[in-house]
Amino acid sequence: MEAGTMSAEELPKTEANVLKGHEGAVLTARFNGEGNYCLSGGKDRTIRLWNPHRGIHIKTYKSHGREVRDVHVTSDNSKICSCGGDRQVFYWDVSTGRVIRKFRGHDSEVNAVKFNEYSSVVVSAGYDRSLRAWDCRSHSTEPIQIIDTFLDSVMSVCLTKTEIIAGSVDGTVRTFDIRMGRELSDDLGQPVNCISLSNDGNCVLASCLDSTLRLLDRTTGELLQEYKGHTCKSFKMDCCLTNNDAHVVGGSEDGHLFFWDLVDACVVSSFRAHSSVVTSVSYHPKDNCMITASVDGSVRVWKA
Amino acid sequence: MESDEDDFVFFGTPIEREEDTISRKKKSIAEASGQLRTLAPWKQEVRDEEGRRRFHGAFSGGFSAGYFNTVGSKEGWTPQTFTSSRKKRAEFKQQDLSHFLDDDEKAELEGNSLGTSMQFDTFGFTAAEIARKQSEKEQNERPSAIPGPAPDELVVPATDPIGVRLMLKMGWRRGRSVKSSKSTHYDARREARKAFLAFAGPEDAEVEDAMETAAELPTDDIIQFQKSTPVYVLNPKQDMHGLGYDPFKGAPEFRDNKRSHLPGNRESGHKRLLPKKDGLFSFKPTNVAPGFGIGALEELDAEDEDVYASGYDFEAFVEEAEEPSRLAIEDKKKSSSKEHGVLPGFKAASNSDYQLERFHPPVVPKDFVPHPKFPATLEVNQKLTEVPPSEVPPPVDNNLKVLIEGVATLVARCGPLFEELSREKNQSNPLFDFLSGGDGNDYYKRKLWEARQKHGDKTKPLLNEKIAPNAQKMTPNAQKMTAETRGNILGEKPLNRTAKDLKSVVPATDNVNLQFHLSDTFTEPASFVEPTEIAKPFQHDPAKQERFEQYLKEKYRGGLRTIDAGGSSKMSEAARARERLEFEAAAEARTQGKWGKESKLSSQQILGASAGLGLQFTSGGSEINGVSQTEEVIKKSLFPKREEFQWRPAPILCKRFDLIDPYMGKPPPPPRSRSKLDSLIFMPDYVKAATEEKNTVSNNISLPQVDAKRRTNVMDAEDVEVETVEVENVERPVDLYKAIFSDDSDDEEENINTNQQEDPTKKIEAANTTLSRLMAGDFLESLGKELGLEVPPDQPYKPPQATQKPPTVQDNPQNLEPINSAAPNIQSTKEFDHEIMKKETKVRRDKSSSDDEKSRRRSKRDYDSSSDSSDGYRDRHSSSRHKGRKKEHRKHSKHRHHESSSRSRHSADKEYRDSKREKRKRRD
Repeated sequence: MEAGTMSAEELPKTEANVLKGHEGAVLTARFNGEGNYCLSGGKDRTIRLWNPHRGIHIKTYKSHGREVRDVHVTSDNSKICSCGGDRQVFYWDVSTGRVIRKFRGHDSEVNAVKFNEYSSVVVSAGYDRSLRAWDCRSHSTEPIQIIDTFLDSVMSVCLTKTEIIAGSVDGTVRTFDIRMGRELSDDLGQPVNCISLSNDGNCVLASCLDSTLRLLDRTTGELLQEYKGHTCKSFKMDCCLTNNDAHVVGGSEDGHLFFWDLVDACVVSSFRAHSSVVTSVSYHPKDNCMITASVDGSVRVWKA
Repeated sequence: MESDEDDFVFFGTPIEREEDTISRKKKSIAEASGQLRTLAPWKQEVRDEEGRRRFHGAFSGGFSAGYFNTVGSKEGWTPQTFTSSRKKRAEFKQQDLSHFLDDDEKAELEGNSLGTSMQFDTFGFTAAEIARKQSEKEQNERPSAIPGPAPDELVVPATDPIGVRLMLKMGWRRGRSVKSSKSTHYDARREARKAFLAFAGPEDAEVEDAMETAAELPTDDIIQFQKSTPVYVLNPKQDMHGLGYDPFKGAPEFRDNKRSHLPGNRESGHKRLLPKKDGLFSFKPTNVAPGFGIGALEELDAEDEDVYASGYDFEAFVEEAEEPSRLAIEDKKKSSSKEHGVLPGFKAASNSDYQLERFHPPVVPKDFVPHPKFPATLEVNQKLTEVPPSEVPPPVDNNLKVLIEGVATLVARCGPLFEELSREKNQSNPLFDFLSGGDGNDYYKRKLWEARQKHGDKTKPLLNEKIAPNAQKMTPNAQKMTAETRGNILGEKPLNRTAKDLKSVVPATDNVNLQFHLSDTFTEPASFVEPTEIAKPFQHDPAKQERFEQYLKEKYRGGLRTIDAGGSSKMSEAARARERLEFEAAAEARTQGKWGKESKLSSQQILGASAGLGLQFTSGGSEINGVSQTEEVIKKSLFPKREEFQWRPAPILCKRFDLIDPYMGKPPPPPRSRSKLDSLIFMPDYVKAATEEKNTVSNNISLPQVDAKRRTNVMDAEDVEVETVEVENVERPVDLYKAIFSDDSDDEEENINTNQQEDPTKKIEAANTTLSRLMAGDFLESLGKELGLEVPPDQPYKPPQATQKPPTVQDNPQNLEPINSAAPNIQSTKEFDHEIMKKETKVRRDKSSSDDEKSRRRSKRDYDSSSDSSDGYRDRHSSSRHKGRKKEHRKHSKHRHHESSSRSRHSADKEYRDSKREKRKRRD
């Protein structure tokens, strides 16, 4: 992994915009593929589309019956998938704002959802200890694959071209290699809250509930580094790497935002970003920009 | 006609001819009207209105009387109109005996009550009868405890009817029975005649007497007959016996009493006037005939009594003996208990020497606290009342301070005996001067006092509150009864420590816990020589250390464990369990680490020992420092832990991901046998299956079947582990099978290829054969073992991480034993370390399992409830869920076994280990 050259000063620490509109906690905030828009979902059961750079609210998607826990947009920005407390995965059309499909099958709340590379499959991770893959192309309502080897709630899912990676409260990060037909289970010993892939795809960052972020080498399963200093004990909180993989970003339950050096694991920067728990962080794919969502109901845009 | 019906089969409902029914009806009417009534009831037949027989023999239909095939009512299924129970309340019916009696029984009752007495109207019994009936009616109206008509004897008209009065005037004596038997009637008549005579004669006074009381009459009556006309004594029923029950049946002394029930009723009324004492004495076994007896072992029952009592002419005798009337007996029964136990012929002493001494219970002092006090603590308690010595600054020398404190604690625990002992032993030792009033004596006293306060704290909390409220603060975690006190009670010898020992140990470390030596002497003499470092793994936490000591004690002593043995009551269940495991581990460390005595003689040696410890234990350093640190280290070494499983993506998923299905063209994974039982059930078929399906087996050969068997073995052991490895591979090498069935190996090669191509189309067939293959696989595996062949490992690829860990059992936490199982005796210290790890993980999981469901539910609720509030997105479930992993897993694994036949992960960890080992071999 290339070591980032960006210094701490270039980190997005200044607040560029505050996206307000959600009533109640915002649980997720995600950039789209290009980073020009962002989506947020929250306890007010809505998904909101924003232009974070201009601070404009574009659209609201309402159909969820419960809180929205995760949202993902296709690479062509045409579809959205979202999930939440209503145990369904919603498949939206971005422009019309209508629900194209609802995938029902999870026995419980759905924690995370992702499109695959071709936006043909939605993989959702549920509290029912399962990962489910849904086919967006066919009209079948059944999941095309159910992975239920997890022992506890699956909190987060990431997809690569060939793999499905998911972190679970059972302490494992499991990689399901479709091409190889195998499953790799990396037991971290601590409940995994969120996983995030490094941009080079070699590492996976797992946020554990012992207030530690752990960086794993994906090929060997080796623990590369641990990042501590924040508090993460009972909330589902995101973590991510900066777009140059130089720093690790994570929120804290006290509303702080932490930046660690990837290699040294030292806290490069930490500041109070929100008044309450930082539930979600999303880093811009190219720029030094990031968005954070918080229980305080705001989505904030940070720039260097 | 009947026989005809038997022979033919009828369809439909036959139209009944009118004549038939009419005749039958007629017959039934005729029967009902009387013909059959003459028959005995058991000879009569039950027939319905139509004259059909309703009760058949058991072999010809059984009971079909009543409203056959209806709901048991005439209306049948016709719904009744609903009447509101609100407006029209159900009538409350008073039940009495008549409701439960048959007609027969009622008639019987009726007959009884009347009988023939009506014939003797002359004597005015009709009036009595009427009165009786009246009273009976009254009684019927107000329900009594005993339903039904009262027995005659009990009911007597309250006022004499005029007839009776007349009769009395005429000389009739009360109590003369008229109805009971012929003879009595006859007697009565004679009596009446006599009465008439009396009227005529000058015996008026006598008659008057007779009228007033029947008592004196019989004695001076010349005619001695029939004195026992029943006197209708109004005996209120005061006992709880059934009516007619004779409580004296078993007691021969009171046998006479039974006579009073007999129809003869020979007792005359005067007898009840007899004084009780007389009655008591008159109980001589007159009843049982003199000269005749029953054996000692025989029971005197009615038969005996009747035989001897009734047959012979005791009349005069009996009368002289003056049997007590029933009333007398009952009176006696009512009377004081003194008389109760008196045997006939004995008199209850009026004054007895014997007096039951009664002691009042001791008065419990107001401030009494119900805690057992034991000698040692008692002493302490006594001393608690002493004036606490003044606070003294500790001596400058830190070592001395530690020593003083240690000794004070010990003395407080063991009593002054220990103090003396140590004083004796350490006379020459200047360090112990404080014991004999030298340097630091004041401090020692103060410390001793404090320690005693501490020690007695628990047993006398109230007292302590009064005297030294601050003492409580000092020991928040004090136990109720420490092992030391217990040892004291049991009279165990307290510490017998040499001066040398103390000298060497005390200065060595600041936090030496001398108590431990003490407890050691109690538990295991051998352990006394152990170095303190090992013996005290919880130095940093004295309370914990104490608990550990107690644990050890109990461990070596056996016996029942007290409830709070594992820790203080403040600890949670999980924490306790965890601690217990720690203790177990530490205890093992103790037993393992047996160094020579010399190792602890000097501090240097101790250090050396601990260094050796470090060498011996991979993470020994942290072991000394505390298990929490060890845990950390272990965690680091244990996690992340990579495991590899086979996973079969759905073809469509591969398609959608634009990947080639790695399992394309391969048969579906064979169904797993669910349990050992299954495989056992199939056992007898193994051979057959193996021979028959040889080809199948060797064609799409796979050892997964073997896996299945192994797996079943492991399934018994709790597979706590995250995942079991299943590297079930369809393209498994067929060496074993070649080795066994080498004849047609060439064909097989071809077959394999062709088969695999065909397989997609043959999926169903494959599925059908999988079960048999399963059996065959098992068989083959066992066969291979017998032949000494090694079953080829099934690892199509090499997991890069697999060899990092030694292939020991401990490596895989799947094998975790149940928490209660005895700690295995592990020889190598390395393994021991693993053991600890195991236990750590186990504990974590166990801890979690308890509140899993609850928390899960709660978390859900949290979600729901907090969804409205802007309070926050508290992902509780993520935190709570992870607590319940073990349980979840179990559930989950079950689930998996039953449902997900498509998944191919069902190999046991055993196999996993095997394969790993194999791989290592290969690599090497």
